[in-house]
Amino acid sequence: MQKNKIEAKKVSVFYNDKKALNEITLSIPEKKVTSLIGPSGCGKSTFLRCINRMNDTIEGCSMTGRILIDNKDINEKSLDPVLLRARVGMVFQKPNPFPKSIFENVAYGPKIHGLTQSSDELNELVEESLKKAGLFSEIKDRIHEPGTSLSGGQQQRLCIARAISISPEIILMDEPCSALDPIATAKIEELIDELAHNFTIVIVTHSMQQAARVSKQTAFFHMGNLIEVGKTDSIFSNPSEKKTQDYITGKIG
Amino acid sequence: MTKNFEKINDSLIKRQKSEKNFKLFGLIGIICAISFLIIILTSIIIEGKKAFVSTYIKLDVFFDSKIIDPDNTKEDSVIKSANFNEIITKSILENFPEVTDRKEKIKLSTFISSSAEDELIKLIILDKALIDQKKELWLLASSTIDVIHKNPDMLNFPEDERLIDDKELKWFQWFLSEEKIKFSANKNFFSNADSTEPEQAGIWGAFVGSFLTLFVTLILSFPIAVAAGVFLEELAPKNKFTDFIEVNINNLAAVPSIIFGLLGLAIFLNVMHLPRSAPIVGGMVLALMTLPTIIIATRASLRAVPPSIREAAIGLGATKFQTVTHHVLPLSMPGISTGTIIGMSQALGESAPLLMIGMVAFIVDSPGSIFDSATVLPVQIYLWKSTAARGFVELTAAGVMVLLSFLVLMNAIAVYVRYKFEKKW
Ligand SMILES: Nc1ncnc2c1ncn2[C@@H]1O[C@H](COP(=O)(O)OP(=O)(O)O)[C@@H](O)[C@H]1O
Ligand SMILES: [Mg+2]
Repeated sequence: MQKNKIEAKKVSVFYNDKKALNEITLSIPEKKVTSLIGPSGCGKSTFLRCINRMNDTIEGCSMTGRILIDNKDINEKSLDPVLLRARVGMVFQKPNPFPKSIFENVAYGPKIHGLTQSSDELNELVEESLKKAGLFSEIKDRIHEPGTSLSGGQQQRLCIARAISISPEIILMDEPCSALDPIATAKIEELIDELAHNFTIVIVTHSMQQAARVSKQTAFFHMGNLIEVGKTDSIFSNPSEKKTQDYITGKIG
Repeated sequence: MTKNFEKINDSLIKRQKSEKNFKLFGLIGIICAISFLIIILTSIIIEGKKAFVSTYIKLDVFFDSKIIDPDNTKEDSVIKSANFNEIITKSILENFPEVTDRKEKIKLSTFISSSAEDELIKLIILDKALIDQKKELWLLASSTIDVIHKNPDMLNFPEDERLIDDKELKWFQWFLSEEKIKFSANKNFFSNADSTEPEQAGIWGAFVGSFLTLFVTLILSFPIAVAAGVFLEELAPKNKFTDFIEVNINNLAAVPSIIFGLLGLAIFLNVMHLPRSAPIVGGMVLALMTLPTIIIATRASLRAVPPSIREAAIGLGATKFQTVTHHVLPLSMPGISTGTIIGMSQALGESAPLLMIGMVAFIVDSPGSIFDSATVLPVQIYLWKSTAARGFVELTAAGVMVLLSFLVLMNAIAVYVRYKFEKKW
C-alpha cells in the first residue's frame, strides 16, 4: 500500500477577501512526483506555497482547512515555520541564486541550520549537493565564482542543489523550467526523475508534456477548485471530467 | 492600408516635431544651468585664489640683545616677553632714515603683520646664537599691504578711496622697486583658526570643527536610521500606527533646519546642559536633521531588493532577521551609503541650526575634541563675509572653495561607493 506524505484537507486560501482556493482535498504520495496543472491563475502556486507556509509571508493571506505532513498538522501553533521549511524545500519559477559565489549559495542552508561541524564537512556537503543536482562536473573549477554568472539552466540546478543541501523530505517546484530553453529543461526533468528516489516532489507546470513525462500523479486545478486527480497516465488518456478533457485538448487555457 | 499609411505618416511629422522641441528646451535648460555654474565658480575662484598666497616683505632684522635679553640670561621666558615689535620697527625704519615723525614711524611699523613677532621669537628660541646678529628675513605683511599688493589698480585710486595714504603709498612703491616685497604661499590659511587679522586667519579651525561635527552626526544618525528603516520596512506590521510614523518621518525630512537648532538649544543646552558651541551638540542637532534622509534612503534601497532573494532565503528556512541581515541589508548597502553621504553633505553645508546652539562664536583655536568650542565651514564663511575688513573678502571666497571641494569629495565618494558595490542579480 502506497504511503501518503502530504494530506490536504479542505484547504481554502484567501487573499484578503478574495478566495483563491476552494476546499482542496488532495493526498500526495511519498517519494513520487506529483504535478499540479491548470490554467494560469487557477491557484497552483497558492496551493504549493501552503505546503511550506510561504503564504505566511504575504500580507492579508489566510488559510482554512488542514495540511498534514506525516500525519502532523503543519499549521499547529507549536510548529515553527522555519523548521517546516527546513523539511520542505522550494525551487522557484525564476532561478534566484543569491548574488554570492556558487559555494556560498549551497553552503548557506547548512550554515544557518548548523548542519556541519567543520569546514571540511561543509565542503563535502556542498560538493555532494552539487553532484546530486548534476551541476558539479560542469562548474567544479569555478565554485567560487558568482552563482549569477551561470546560465539560466545551471542557475536553476544551483537552486535545486541549494534546496537539497539541507536534506529536506519534500521539494516543491513552481514551474522550474518556465524560464529555460528545451535542453536545459530536459536536464532538469532528468534530475527530477533522479531526485524522486529520495524526495517527495510536488511540481507545478504549465506544460502538460512535462507533467506526463515526470510525474506519477497529476492534479488538475481550475479557478481555485481541484477538478480531478489521479494517475498521470489515466488523467491524460482517459480523463473523467469534461473540464480536464477540455484543458488537455487545448479548449481552455 | 494605404489610407492608414498616410494617416500615420502625417502624424509622424507632428510627433517628430514635438520631440525636437522637447529636446531643444532640454538643451536650453542645461546650457542655462551650466553657465550659471561656470559664472559662480569662476567668480569664486578668481577671488578665492588670491587668498592662497600672502605678501611678504624683506627686512634686515638686527636681533639687538639690548632689547631681547639685556641681562644675557638666554632664558626662553625672557625672550618671549621681549619687545619684538621694537625690533621690527627698527628694521623697517632703517630703510627710511628720513622718517622721524612718531606717527609716521607707527604707520611704517604696521606694514608688518603682528604675527611676525611670534615668528621672530620662535626663531630666536630655536637658535640663540642669532642674538646680536643681523639676518635677512621675509616677514608677513599686514593685511592692508596684502590687499594693495593683490589689487594693483588700487594704486591709482584717489587717496581717500585707497586703503593707504600717499606717504604709505610712496613707501610701498619703494619696497616694490627694490624688490623687497613678494608673494608666497599662505601658510596661515591651512593651519590657523579664525583671527581678527585677515592675514593670520585660517580655515583649519573650521575644517576640524566641521569634521568633528560630521563625525558625531554620522556615528549617531547612521546606526539609528538604518535600524529604524529596517524595522519599519521589514519587521514592523503594516498598520495605522506604522503608517502614522511613516508620514511623520517624511514630514520630518521637510522641516526647516533652523527648527532642529531651536530644539537643540532647548533640549541639549538648556535641559541636558551640554557644552555650548561644541561639535557634540552640533553633531546631535545635525543627526536629528539627517535621520529622516537616511531612513528614507534605507527604506527605498530595501524595497529595491528583488523579492526573489527574500523568497530564496525564507524558503531555505532562514528567519526573517537572518534574511534581512544576511541578504537584504548587504544588497541595499550601496543605496544606504549613498543616501547617508548625501545626508552628510547636507549637514556639512548647514549653518542655521548651528547658529542656534552658539557655533557662531569667534574661536581662535582649532578644537581638540568634540567637547571644545568650535565653528564649522559654512558658519566661518558667514562670519568672514559679515566682517568689514577688506582682507576678509578673499578669505570668504577661499572658504567657499574649501567647502565646495569638501562637498565634491563627499559626492565623489558617494558615486564611487555606488559604482563599486552595486551588485547585479
Ligand atoms: N500575493 C497575492 N495577492 C493577491 N492575490 C493573489 C496573490 N497571489 C496570487 N493571487 C491570486 O490568487 C489566484 C491564484 O494565483 P496563483 O496561485 O498564483 O495561480 P497560478 O500559479 O495557478 O497561476 C489568482 O487569481 C491571483 O490573482
Ligand atoms: Mg504560478
